Amino acid sequence: MHIPDGYLGPATSGFFYAAMVPVWMVCSKMVKKTLKAKQVPLLAIGAAFSFVIMMFNVPIPGGSTGHAVGGVLVAILLGPWAATIAITVALVVQALLFGDGGITAIGANCFNMAFVSVFAGYYAYRFLRIRAAANSTRTVFAAGVAAYIGINAAALCAGIEFGLQPLLYHTAAGQPLYCPYGLKVAITTMSGEHLLVFGWIEAIVTALVVKYLQKQDLELLTLNQ
Amino acid sequence: MSALSFFKDALYADAYALKKGFLQSRDPRINVAAILLLIIAVLFVRDTAVLVWLYTFCLLLAACSKINLLFFIKRTWFFIPLFSLFIAVPAVFNFVTPGHPVFMFTLLHHPVTITREGLSGATLFVMRVATSVSLVILLSLTTKHTELLKVLRILKIPQLFVMTLGMCYRYIYLFVEIIEHTHLAIKSRAGTNIKHKKGREIATWSITNLWIRSYHLNNQVYSAMLSRGYRGEPQVLHEFKTTLRDWAWITAAAAISTLSFAVY
Repeated sequence: MHIPDGYLGPATSGFFYAAMVPVWMVCSKMVKKTLKAKQVPLLAIGAAFSFVIMMFNVPIPGGSTGHAVGGVLVAILLGPWAATIAITVALVVQALLFGDGGITAIGANCFNMAFVSVFAGYYAYRFLRIRAAANSTRTVFAAGVAAYIGINAAALCAGIEFGLQPLLYHTAAGQPLYCPYGLKVAITTMSGEHLLVFGWIEAIVTALVVKYLQKQDLELLTLNQ
Repeated sequence: MSALSFFKDALYADAYALKKGFLQSRDPRINVAAILLLIIAVLFVRDTAVLVWLYTFCLLLAACSKINLLFFIKRTWFFIPLFSLFIAVPAVFNFVTPGHPVFMFTLLHHPVTITREGLSGATLFVMRVATSVSLVILLSLTTKHTELLKVLRILKIPQLFVMTLGMCYRYIYLFVEIIEHTHLAIKSRAGTNIKHKKGREIATWSITNLWIRSYHLNNQVYSAMLSRGYRGEPQVLHEFKTTLRDWAWITAAAAISTLSFAVY
């Protein structure tokens, strides 16, 4: 899901930076308005938490493993505005520390994972658990489905971004200069693997974390309500 | 938790930033600007040969900055470029990139051709990714993270983001320690032969436990911040100084970028 430098052309990278600037500005404003000064470290905790979630390799049938992104989970715990900032920070740390998700692609990565995934997932969660109690089974179900929707929406965006590159940037002979696969291949691959594998990991992890929080510390699940 | 040791190595590679190498002795603001210029040049270049030169220049910078080249190459190629190489493989075949045949063979009774256009496109793609990733990692290895955060503030990145970034970086150390201890405790009690269903439960339980523990740290961290004089704007003690060598370095980086643009 993390797009490294070199996959997207200059104009695409620039476009997503430009698209994310107003989102970051609105999120900062909303967070300053809603988050108490005392809760400022919570943003950093959310960012580090999302960063570390990606370290958990979850076993999947067949002997392989995969990892979750945690965008929707952080949104459920902290709210979508704070989650956007937290995931952005996690992505910047990953790009600077590991070169995972490049510097020029930060705008696109944030658009997919910190904006599309977070907001699509969070509002799906709110919709699916209308009038459901925080400790109900429907809340667990809503969290899982929302996480599945969120990560798949992000994967679809990433697929479209990849797939547009050969159309936007190619030599006179038609040789692609950045990501070499067209829309059909890129969307099928990105959506396919997230619909079939990674979406389920995200859904299971999110649902189980919500379920454990219901048992262990229900108050943490209701902070954002 | 196979990625844990890789993450730990990356997190604790701070020792390189303390060495007295070429990049470590430069003004961090100049380093960030110069590396950014080079990354932008890499993004625009359309010629593999130019990318190879830029990559060689990056290796030269790493060597002058007293970074073990074997460590640097392993660190930069291990993850993203190797993954990109894997992604680029289908693009060398005629069913993705038609063109002049270079090599033909039969796969499951079907003739398959590797094309010159496919090979050249895949090489350009992998070299672009490898050079960009190398430059980013070079910057992170040779610049102290506190200085990097200060540069972000100078670049007018909002304080909320910079402060969160700084705190997040410290939390990651703590979280990695917590996870490592939890993982070791589980391993010593349950062994390593765990079925995938149980493994999923353990992973998600660890994530929940991490959130509960870290959330309860929030109040303590805020009190610690207040007791150290936090009033809403982080204070930085040292000012950066730019020398003639810094200007020479940024001029060289700008010249190399301009030359690359000229080829573009």
